[in-house]
Amino acid sequence: MKRSIVLMVIGAILAAACGGAGGLGGGTAVSVGLVTDVGGLDDKSFNTLANKGLEDAKKDLGVSGKVIESKEQANYVPNLTQFAQQTTGLTIAVGFLMTNSTWKVAKQFPNAKFAIVDGAPANDQEKTENLPNVANLFFSEQEAGYLVGVIAGEMLKGKVGKAGSGNTACAMGGIPIPPVDKFIAGYQDALEKYGAKVLVGYSQSFTDQQKGKEIGLQHISQGCTVLFQVAGGSGLGYIQAAKEKNVYAIGVDADQAYVAPETVLTSALKRVDRAVYQTIKAVKENTFKSGDNFFNAANDGVGFGVLHKDVPAGAKSATETALADIKSGKIKPRTEVKK
Amino acid sequence: MTDVTSGPEVAPPARSVRQLGYQWTAGPAMPLLSLAVALLIGAVFIAASGRDPLRAYVALVSGAVGGATVQLAAYNTSETIVGAVPLVFTAISVAVAFRTGLFNIGAEGQLLVGALSAGAVGAAFGGLPGPVLMPLTLGAAALAGAAYGAIPGALKAWRGAHEVITTIMLNYVAIFLMHWLLQNGPMTAPSAAGTPASAKIGDGAILPVLLPSDLVPLSRLHAGTLIAIAALVGFWALMWRTSLGYELRSVGFSPRAAAQAGIDPKLRTVLVMAIAGGVAGIGGAVQIQGVLYRVFDGFSPGYGFDAIAVALLGKSSPVGIALAALLFGAFGHGGALMQSEAQVSAHIVSVIEALVLFLVAAELVARIVAGRRKARA
Repeated sequence: MKRSIVLMVIGAILAAACGGAGGLGGGTAVSVGLVTDVGGLDDKSFNTLANKGLEDAKKDLGVSGKVIESKEQANYVPNLTQFAQQTTGLTIAVGFLMTNSTWKVAKQFPNAKFAIVDGAPANDQEKTENLPNVANLFFSEQEAGYLVGVIAGEMLKGKVGKAGSGNTACAMGGIPIPPVDKFIAGYQDALEKYGAKVLVGYSQSFTDQQKGKEIGLQHISQGCTVLFQVAGGSGLGYIQAAKEKNVYAIGVDADQAYVAPETVLTSALKRVDRAVYQTIKAVKENTFKSGDNFFNAANDGVGFGVLHKDVPAGAKSATETALADIKSGKIKPRTEVKK
Repeated sequence: MTDVTSGPEVAPPARSVRQLGYQWTAGPAMPLLSLAVALLIGAVFIAASGRDPLRAYVALVSGAVGGATVQLAAYNTSETIVGAVPLVFTAISVAVAFRTGLFNIGAEGQLLVGALSAGAVGAAFGGLPGPVLMPLTLGAAALAGAAYGAIPGALKAWRGAHEVITTIMLNYVAIFLMHWLLQNGPMTAPSAAGTPASAKIGDGAILPVLLPSDLVPLSRLHAGTLIAIAALVGFWALMWRTSLGYELRSVGFSPRAAAQAGIDPKLRTVLVMAIAGGVAGIGGAVQIQGVLYRVFDGFSPGYGFDAIAVALLGKSSPVGIALAALLFGAFGHGGALMQSEAQVSAHIVSVIEALVLFLVAAELVARIVAGRRKARA
């Protein structure tokens, strides 16, 4: 009894001291809130890149920005709500894990603007339901896949370095969902033009490194000398297999040369930072567009990463030609994986 | 209300570790002191990272229970309670074992099997009406949790395997069972694009939200809160108002004396671990049925581990657990505003929580050491 009174008094004092101190500053300046998924700011992937986009926007566009890292799945709705109530500009949800949470919060706050990285609002029946205040930031992954496919094709054709005399390239996806398959489809498309054989596997996981490594070793035993991972954490095992067996690997989403500098040929980049930056810019300039927004080679939304020192100048110029052709619309990489 | 925590009311002179542990379970001074010291050390960390500790703590408190408007304050407070609910269940699980002289480190695993059972039953029989499906899901979770808790209980009773070791190991079994079931196993929902998760549970299994949405928009304060309160009352009634509770506490107080008095400690060990597991299992079900509506792989940030801190801070008493769980809920929800307003990483609240546990545990160790010295003298 005594204890509860003590605690209640303390609680009352704290409440009194802080009541109304939620100082949710208004003002006219554009403020932006970023909610990470459970991966946190240091995931070296979407969250890190999204935050970089926000930082760039703070520097160049003079907007103010705040970040909340979600510690658990159950935090998404409250964290988005927090920003929906206090930001004047935009609330950004990183990752498709928040499609339903964003739908819920965006419906409740029709005057606040939202953006979902790599996703569209999904209602309680899990059906996509576009909202007039939500921008869906999608990427043309097939274009990035095509570009790294060209590099792989050039390496195989020229029998450069670790590519050896093989004529087979491989790719491993996590789970066969569109953002994964579009990468692989573009890669396949480019390599077929080089007459190379492409083997595709799935680890059925974005986290299981061991499974990724097993598939990598299996692919290498089938003659692959270039391995393209599209499987997040599971793909790190795939790269590891390439490293052990001294063949090339290609990273995904962010520049993954740091994972294994001797092994990673290049990376298929999904420029989440550019997408976030451009969306904030659109809000500032009153050109915010709800619904699907595509980020592609033409607007710098996808591309390829740092090239391995083994990549010859000819391969580099071939890739740059392909990039120009994609930008001009001359090349339209396919989006479905050929099974 | 009498002081429910002091058990057989007069604490005897310190003789054994168990008795010391028992004595230690009285009085609110030490937990409050531990909390204050933890917040102070936390402030040093915040200052060291170049942020303003006062601003951070103001944001923490206002994010947890405050807000610019009454509506926002109500929302924040309701979210604090939503965060506290799973911890209430897991902390009771830890406390009921602790009161019987057992350390249940397995609340996390018990919570997970409960959540998985509720998710499986809730989805498989999703078409059933609420009055049938609700008790079915909660019952399945309680049974699964109880069975999962009874395993280390039986191993302890008849094979002498220490429950700390077995419960810790069974946590991993449950975690990997969850990975298997949800990542590419029988419970994996085909529509869960890239998110390992089970299918959505039926509407009949969903615990309704208590606050109307036009009053507090987006509130998630669900009926599981009432189940949590009932569990706290049940815990109190079981331990201090039934003969079984008396026997359990006697075993915790001194198993040999209890055996002398004709209480079989073996059966009580299994029984109490089953109760502990069952409560944690219901906690898992409540989190699925009240908040998430499907089992996401890795949905628990460690409710079963935080529960140890909550139970210790709450001195394994019902009122103490309720307050400590609310405190941790406030840390969790207020931590988000602390990060956005004061740019202090939300992880600092994990540091403070760990410090609270450390300081509470250190006090226990200090008392044991002091008691030994006294016994020698």
